[in-house]
Amino acid sequence: MRLQRSRVGIILSYALLTTLALLFFIPVMMMLAGSLKPDERVLMEAGSLAGFIPGEVSLQNYTDVFNRTEFLGFLFNSLFITGTIVIFGLLVNALAAYAFARLRWRGRDLFFNLVLAVMILPLEAIAVPLFYGVSLLGLRDTYLAQILPFIANAFSIYLFYAFFIGLPRELEEAARLDGASTLRTFFSIIVPNSKPVFASVAILNFLMWWGAYLWPLMVTIGPEVRPLPVAIAAFYTLPPLQWGDILAFSVMMVAPVLLLFILFQRWFVRGVAATGIKG
Amino acid sequence: MYILIALTFAALLFISGCTDTDNPEGHINALAVWAHAGQERERNTLKSQVARYNKNHPQHPVRLTLIPEGSYNAQVQAAAVAGNLPDLLEFDGPFLYAYIWQGRLQPLDNLLPETLIDDLLPSILQQGSYRDHLWSVGIFDSGLGLYADRSRLVAVGARIPTLENPWRQDEFNNILQRLVNTDPDGQALDLKLNYGGEWYTYALSPLIQSAGGDLVSRGEVYSAQGSLNGPETADVLHTIQRWIEAGWVDPNIDDAAFTSGRVAMAMGGHWNYARYHEHLGEDLLLLPLPDFAYGSKTGQGSWSWSITSNCDNPKAAARFLAFLLQPEEVLAMTDANGAVPATRSAIGQSLRYRTGGALQLFVDQLKAGYAIPRPRTPAYPVITAEFQRAFERIRSGSDVQAVLDEAARSIDLEIEDNKGYPWLFTAVERQ
Amino acid sequence: MSPPARLDDHTPVVLLIAGPALIGLLVFVLVPFLFALLTAFTNLRLGSPLPLEFVGLKQFTRILSDPTFVRAMGNNFLFALIIVPLQTALALGLALLLNQGLRGTVIYRTLFFMPVVFPMSLVAVVWILIYAPGPNGMMNSLLDLLSFGQWQPRDFLRDPALALPAIMLLSIWQGTGFQMVILLAGLQAIPQELHEAAALDGAGHWQRFLHVTLPQLRNPLTFVMLITTILAFRLFDQVQIMTRGGPDNATTTVMYEMVETVFTRQQVARASAMTVIFFLLVLGVTWLQRHLVRETREVE
Repeated sequence: MRLQRSRVGIILSYALLTTLALLFFIPVMMMLAGSLKPDERVLMEAGSLAGFIPGEVSLQNYTDVFNRTEFLGFLFNSLFITGTIVIFGLLVNALAAYAFARLRWRGRDLFFNLVLAVMILPLEAIAVPLFYGVSLLGLRDTYLAQILPFIANAFSIYLFYAFFIGLPRELEEAARLDGASTLRTFFSIIVPNSKPVFASVAILNFLMWWGAYLWPLMVTIGPEVRPLPVAIAAFYTLPPLQWGDILAFSVMMVAPVLLLFILFQRWFVRGVAATGIKG
Repeated sequence: MYILIALTFAALLFISGCTDTDNPEGHINALAVWAHAGQERERNTLKSQVARYNKNHPQHPVRLTLIPEGSYNAQVQAAAVAGNLPDLLEFDGPFLYAYIWQGRLQPLDNLLPETLIDDLLPSILQQGSYRDHLWSVGIFDSGLGLYADRSRLVAVGARIPTLENPWRQDEFNNILQRLVNTDPDGQALDLKLNYGGEWYTYALSPLIQSAGGDLVSRGEVYSAQGSLNGPETADVLHTIQRWIEAGWVDPNIDDAAFTSGRVAMAMGGHWNYARYHEHLGEDLLLLPLPDFAYGSKTGQGSWSWSITSNCDNPKAAARFLAFLLQPEEVLAMTDANGAVPATRSAIGQSLRYRTGGALQLFVDQLKAGYAIPRPRTPAYPVITAEFQRAFERIRSGSDVQAVLDEAARSIDLEIEDNKGYPWLFTAVERQ
Repeated sequence: MSPPARLDDHTPVVLLIAGPALIGLLVFVLVPFLFALLTAFTNLRLGSPLPLEFVGLKQFTRILSDPTFVRAMGNNFLFALIIVPLQTALALGLALLLNQGLRGTVIYRTLFFMPVVFPMSLVAVVWILIYAPGPNGMMNSLLDLLSFGQWQPRDFLRDPALALPAIMLLSIWQGTGFQMVILLAGLQAIPQELHEAAALDGAGHWQRFLHVTLPQLRNPLTFVMLITTILAFRLFDQVQIMTRGGPDNATTTVMYEMVETVFTRQQVARASAMTVIFFLLVLGVTWLQRHLVRETREVE
């Protein structure tokens, strides 16, 4: 009796999962297929099964993207900006979290409350004054304006803190008895024992800044330091409107991250999952 | 270890600082120029013009930055606060007066040769003048009209109108009705609803003005109350709303309503001509906008150039402007974007625009006063923003009068907040 | 947080190691926020040659009596009200389906999580094509297929009744995978013994879900709902790219109004007042959610 029911359950589960997966996959499929066919056919065939079949495959749209935009420049900008925020963010925020978790210092509780208070505050809440400041200082259209304000991150500090506080204190005691400095203890003991939280913070910040749109939209002017998310929106408004080209741009824009995701899927999933447990 | 971190940080800041593209200090003699990223051919033409100019002026080379049209004014405004404006700035013509009021520009008086000024179209001078100075010149002006498919007009027995004898409102409604009745999908008119943005203000103002309304009353102090929400303006927008609701207007989402033959008539500008001609050939007609009571009106004004108050070598900037205004350079640009050449000498050499050319109508409209400039006030940015939003709402079926009342209130509030834009300008003396 | 025992005062070294992050938070979060708080009471504009004046509460009274801004707040609430339960339920459903140890789970998980790595601006641009009006549009023909030809083609992003739901749908598509993964991890952390014990007590599937799974998932669920609520209040990218707040303000949001105000209209003071209101909204929602969740916990 029980077995029978679960067999039905399994079949039902598969049916449900497959239907949902297909629905989830439709936009991706259309993107891929559309990027490979002539512009005018993209819109025409979007409503039929032909929308998912490229027909005669042509890479014309891809060459168009390179001719019509500075795609590689945008890609570099995105990688550079996101990469810098993530790498420096890991260092700076982990160190601060360590100070909160393990060291005794004046003003610690005050600052910790500040971290807790601004943790849920999204960047958007300060976009206006930040925009005014950056405009006033003439720092618009620079990498600096897209990187520096976002390295320190209260949520990252909190995630690190929550992890460090759970590490057994004995780990550090030995190092300290050997006379290692605080920094040395951090790098030789804490960091190697905290890989999951580093991965988690890195991935969260990567996803957040790789896709950031509002801030770069406000502070970039020309294409020189424009990142991909702003570039694709600008490309969409750049006449003539050619859907094939836009889809080719989209495919090239997600391909590197998708590749990373598929290669390091385990880490992505763990990284994201880790954020919720402690919440 | 800590030193290492500090060093990498310093290095990062250094790299970021160096790539600061806004910073003209690195090229003392270069002339920083901002222009809008328009149509592909337009962009390429400007780039090649810059290259040509730089070859002959290696001592003051032009450094060109192209900025997406959508956020152009916002970009300029934000750059202006930090004094980060380039030397020479292109912008959408009607925004001129706001920049002047804020003290961002230098007058062009005496910087361009007299002969060149005399050669300019009256509409260009009208747009570029404010408070007894010439501040700005365009390389081209715009043309706005109604494109039509001759065979479809003939099929419904419509009269072909002229600038002197345009369609009257009832005649136009009648023709539109007949076109709709014979149209397979019932959508017979393209108002370029897909454009959005400044197009709404540019293209709908003439219809409103033809009916006797306007966006603002244009006295000493501009005010929207009674104009933007007056009965004439509301009437026109109501009519358009009815057309949209009746399904007579193609949303033109693919920008191909006219070229694919889905509609018989398309409101459009000079920039549409080349593609339309390619698709319709001899059947393509360019007509004046219908007369809603006070004669056919049309739009004017387009991208325009000014020297900013940041520029410490206005002569070099004016030299580049004069270069762009040479007949062959004007024609190079107008061949690319299809616009009306700004100088009479270029018009004379233009196959499309000279007397007898396919687009002569655009020149006639600009020369003979059919074209009305958009409100020449520092309040223009807010006027157009409010109007655009109002029309967005009207086309989605909102109550016309309520929407216009709200927009008029917002505009007048903004004018009041700016104390009526008192004249504070000092740059004239600086010169 | 009790001070660690047997440790000396580390203030000097802390200045070095925590300094960068703390300075960053002060300079780029706290100071700007205080600046916004101050300027909200002035007439500050970007690039205006007029002198700065204090105007009291004028910006606030104006914003709160501006029908567009009120509509924007309403849209944010509506968005949150629909998205949070819907997306959480979908994510939970997917997580439960994937937690049965079925073969191929990894493939399904990959597919559902994939949209998370798509930047929202890209998703918005691609979905404009999906929502193309006319019978050829993908969404239109899908609905036509599902309704056996009863569906009349609509222009989703131009239809005041459909534009916000259209944006909701793509937001769900992009965001569900993120929550699903968090909830899946939460499910996997539930000790199997709890289920077995409940089953021995004669609890059915549904009862076990109610009395074992849900209470055990409390933390991840709270977190997921909090994040989704904040995301709902940050709604901007999709709106800016797809509808620009239209049609008829049906999709405008607090964030969209704020950016329009400061960026397009240069009204820094007015936008600062919006910032303050936005901050209070997020704070209020967070507090409310924490509060409500705690209440239910106590009831159990």
